[in-house]
Amino acid sequence: MKALTANRLIDGEVVFWKDGEWVERFADAQLFDEAAQEAAEAAEAHGKNQPTVVVEPYLIDLVDAGGLWAPLSFRERIRALGPQNHPSHGKQAEGGAVVEALLHADGAARSTGRVNLIKRK
Amino acid sequence: MYQYDAIDKDILADRSAEFRGQVARRLAGELNEDQFKPLRLRNGLYLQLHAYMLRVAIPYGSLNPAQLRKLAWIARTYDKGYGHFTTRTNLQFHWIKLADAPDIMDHLASVDMHAIQTSGNCVRNVTADPYAGATAEEIDDPRVWAEAMRQWSTVHPEFSWLPRKFKIAVTAAPKDRTAAKVHDIGLVLKRARDGSLGFEVMVGGGLGRMPYIASTIREFLPVNRLFSYLEAILRVYNRHGRRDNIHKARIKVLVATLGAEEFARQVEAEWEKVGTGPDLPDTELARIRGAFAPKTFGTLSPRSDAFETARAGQPAFARFARNNLKPHKVPGYGIVEVSLKGIGETPGDASAEQMEVVADLAERYGQNDIRVTHEQNLVLPHVKLDDVPAVWAALDAVGLATPNMNLVSDIIACPGLDYCALANARAIPVAQHIAEKFRDPERAERVGELKIKISGCINACGHHHVGHIGILGVDKKGEEFYQLTLGGSGAEDAAVGQALGPALPYDRVADAVDTLVEVYLRERKDGERFLDTFRRTGVAPFKEAVYADAN
Repeated sequence: MKALTANRLIDGEVVFWKDGEWVERFADAQLFDEAAQEAAEAAEAHGKNQPTVVVEPYLIDLVDAGGLWAPLSFRERIRALGPQNHPSHGKQAEGGAVVEALLHADGAARSTGRVNLIKRK
Repeated sequence: MYQYDAIDKDILADRSAEFRGQVARRLAGELNEDQFKPLRLRNGLYLQLHAYMLRVAIPYGSLNPAQLRKLAWIARTYDKGYGHFTTRTNLQFHWIKLADAPDIMDHLASVDMHAIQTSGNCVRNVTADPYAGATAEEIDDPRVWAEAMRQWSTVHPEFSWLPRKFKIAVTAAPKDRTAAKVHDIGLVLKRARDGSLGFEVMVGGGLGRMPYIASTIREFLPVNRLFSYLEAILRVYNRHGRRDNIHKARIKVLVATLGAEEFARQVEAEWEKVGTGPDLPDTELARIRGAFAPKTFGTLSPRSDAFETARAGQPAFARFARNNLKPHKVPGYGIVEVSLKGIGETPGDASAEQMEVVADLAERYGQNDIRVTHEQNLVLPHVKLDDVPAVWAALDAVGLATPNMNLVSDIIACPGLDYCALANARAIPVAQHIAEKFRDPERAERVGELKIKISGCINACGHHHVGHIGILGVDKKGEEFYQLTLGGSGAEDAAVGQALGPALPYDRVADAVDTLVEVYLRERKDGERFLDTFRRTGVAPFKEAVYADAN
């Protein structure tokens, strides 16, 4: 399972793809299963064609976290939630079942999608 | 402190207007991200995990109350009410919107601040001793030279596109509070037998992927030749630095490859060619020096009754005075260290309210002077001992009086994976867990000086290589792990730490630090710091204790 994410250009907000739109909450993100691989890649290509809307869209891998889907990598869960030192900052403050699932998921520290983007300052 | 003149103000106004235009063109699609990224970075604007991050320059870590209040106002207006002081003595805002960035630049410029050269391959903010002008140890005021270097390096066309970033530190005291030996250039002011001033010039220190302690390439450089000599160093670096390989592009690699002696020879040859042209005219130096002229201090008794009464009557104040109050060069005054390391708080973070309180205290009690340290704390350098109890009470009321300077909970930590796009692992929660272990101030005092430094990746913004205990977050098969090093120092006895053993998982780091401290307490001899004991015993007893469970 995958989702498409990016940062919004104008404010840097973490956003996710949903049916042609960018939404702010991972809970609202469109999920692409293996059968929808082509649709996921098409969405990514579409996002890359929106340079005045988002920066560096990329697909992330998801894992089952207690019956709900959560980003596999810890980096992506932090992006979706907010920084751990300020629980009132970021989307984690809103709570909900998906936020809880992300808080309790475990998995890779590195992003599965962004590895090649973070090598240089 | 130094006041910006018309030239400085024009530079800021021009840069701010230019940046506003660049942002507008980016938002309109006239610039793509590849074109825009180097432009925003040249104005300190990064895109991190949750938002843009703006790194504001605080030249040589010196602030006046109006500037700190403006930073507080920006934190409240454009961020989430706080800022993060860094090991470069800058301030980072972590929740900035691109659309707001031009307005923020204008607000910064209104108090002579900016974000120029806080990123990119240029000469970065110069570090100076945060006790400058206040400590009896110094033989000259290093801010004079730091300010002169700021003017010289700001938008210097020849050095705006170096092989890699470039960091300079200057100190004038034998006790090094600038980490000079792990800078690209470390300058130590010295006085010759004939009374003349000069610099010991050290080159090629640095942390990151390949840590090096700087080598001295000149024992005594007359101060009036500083700029021609700096130009010679930078020209040799510009010519031979490894632009083909980002990991080998810092000057430390060039110095290590050539050898310090050969590097020095090439610098001397270049210096001959540079001549005396770039050196600072005496008139300009005198003008800058005038801005840092000694403050008017009262003639006070070295003993303050108000201070002694508070110390005798309030154990918490006595503890603060023991740990956070340092000797001032003028009798009756003290240097007050303001801890940004509250137990359980984020190292280096200050809320808008806290910044305003410090600004108020500087105005009322501290001669309008505030410093930022590379260890992510603040300093009020000139406080009458009579006023220290009032300053302490006001700091305590907003959580800034933690009596832990140089103790185990005075931890340097980079923002790590909670914010930074480069990080492999979290740094802040690790620091918080360790600080919680040593919440008991009596235990922390019993342990004594112990510098823990944590980085969330090999770029080493948290200076882990030079921690007495260094902690480096790594990605090990997709999980956060932490490599511990022991015996590093960023001070005058600089050293790179030695690896303890295999990396530890996240939830074992704080316990491991606790174990290391217990080994130290068991092994130490009279008067030894953690660092001294480690240097005497070596890594073996520490390693054995930490990995005992695994054996």
